[in-house]
Amino acid sequence: MDTATEQRSDHVLMLAVRDGELDALGELFERHHGPLFGFLVKLTGQRSAAEDIAQTVFQRMLKYRHTYRDDGSFSAWMYHLARRCAADHFRKTNAAPHATDPADLQEHADERPHAGDHATARDDHALLHTALARLDRDDREVLLLSRFQELSFAEIAGILECSVGAAKVRAHRALGELRNIYVRLQQQRSA
Amino acid sequence: MNCSSARDTFPALLDRRTAATAHTEARAHLASCPDCQREFAALSQTLSALDAMPAPAPSPRLRKNFYAMLEEEKHSAASAVTSSARRQRSHRLSLFAWILSPIAGCALIALGFMLGTRNAAPGASDTQRELASMREQIARQNDQLGKMTQLVGYQLLQQQQGPANDRLREVLASANTEKPDDKVLDNLISALAYDPSTNVRLRALEALYPHADRAVVRSSVLASLPREQNPLVQLEMIDFVAAARDREAAPVLTKMAQNESIDRSVRAAARRALAQL
Repeated sequence: MDTATEQRSDHVLMLAVRDGELDALGELFERHHGPLFGFLVKLTGQRSAAEDIAQTVFQRMLKYRHTYRDDGSFSAWMYHLARRCAADHFRKTNAAPHATDPADLQEHADERPHAGDHATARDDHALLHTALARLDRDDREVLLLSRFQELSFAEIAGILECSVGAAKVRAHRALGELRNIYVRLQQQRSA
Repeated sequence: MNCSSARDTFPALLDRRTAATAHTEARAHLASCPDCQREFAALSQTLSALDAMPAPAPSPRLRKNFYAMLEEEKHSAASAVTSSARRQRSHRLSLFAWILSPIAGCALIALGFMLGTRNAAPGASDTQRELASMREQIARQNDQLGKMTQLVGYQLLQQQQGPANDRLREVLASANTEKPDDKVLDNLISALAYDPSTNVRLRALEALYPHADRAVVRSSVLASLPREQNPLVQLEMIDFVAAARDREAAPVLTKMAQNESIDRSVRAAARRALAQL
């Protein structure tokens, strides 16, 4: 990666893609595929589906590059596409996300520094995965967008096609709902 | 400030981007209200757990597939540019045939006339009659040239604003319909299947994307796929059936992937779509 590319913002890179410099999308992929994949894994609960959707998102970026606006925000546009691709996925599979993926949990546990913490961390993550999966999909979506993706509420409102106030209310309600489910699951585990 | 108002500010207080000095009234209430403290602590604990969830990394397959797709798109874009240049070249040749040829003809006649007047003996009455005849001929040629130019201009206008453009406008209008009825979808499906213009077919397919969840749309696109001859449209259709996860497309895609007479990039796209299904 050369210095000139490093200095270009996401927006400038996407404008270059729109104008025919398709290689600039490679830099955008390198910058964003990780967070995008993380969002989609948490949204779908499935790694393979998340990879497929992430792939489709970048495909659609290429396909619809001419629709990218001069005054656009690249992240907001990307998550707008991601949301639509995920909606397509849910419509086709008509499946609720899987709460736990044993392979994921093992992988996560291995990353922990102290072996004694593994079981607790794994259990907590599993509970949270389950709690997230039990959330209404719209609630899960707004919660993940507001917490992880460094998006402003104005951008989230644009993605969800609602007012800024409504986006904030939905995010707060979703967090409250997640809290309730998470606490219930913790109580069930303790019982 | 009461508990309800204070709790309305909790999302802002829990947002990492909120300044520590903001919402002082709510913070003061929180410091003195045990109920709100419990509520805030529970929300904060849930968020902390959410933040602590490990960020999974995708497999190398994602990067590999992405760069394969990017290369293919670059190849397609280059093909499109080449074919556009070919069309422009052909358009220029056509213009030459219609406009420049008569002009060149007139120029040759005029050149012949000038050479004739220079080389002929002056004062001869025959020469003067020939001169008058030549002038009439040039006037007729100019008149014909004017009429020809008008005709070419009209034909070019028809090419630019003709029926294909009208159809394209119709398709674009259909694409902008928020809740299209069956008739609108039928029109788009018919345009995709039968319209002779590549642009119209591509736009029709694009307009059908949001309705990929409807079985009639998926089956129509799939039915049109084997008939389609243009590689660009074929690629878009394959993209469509892959995005729609239409498993019924598998036999058609298998045939396309194995058909050596089909464009190489289309065969590759069919193979990739099969893997996605």
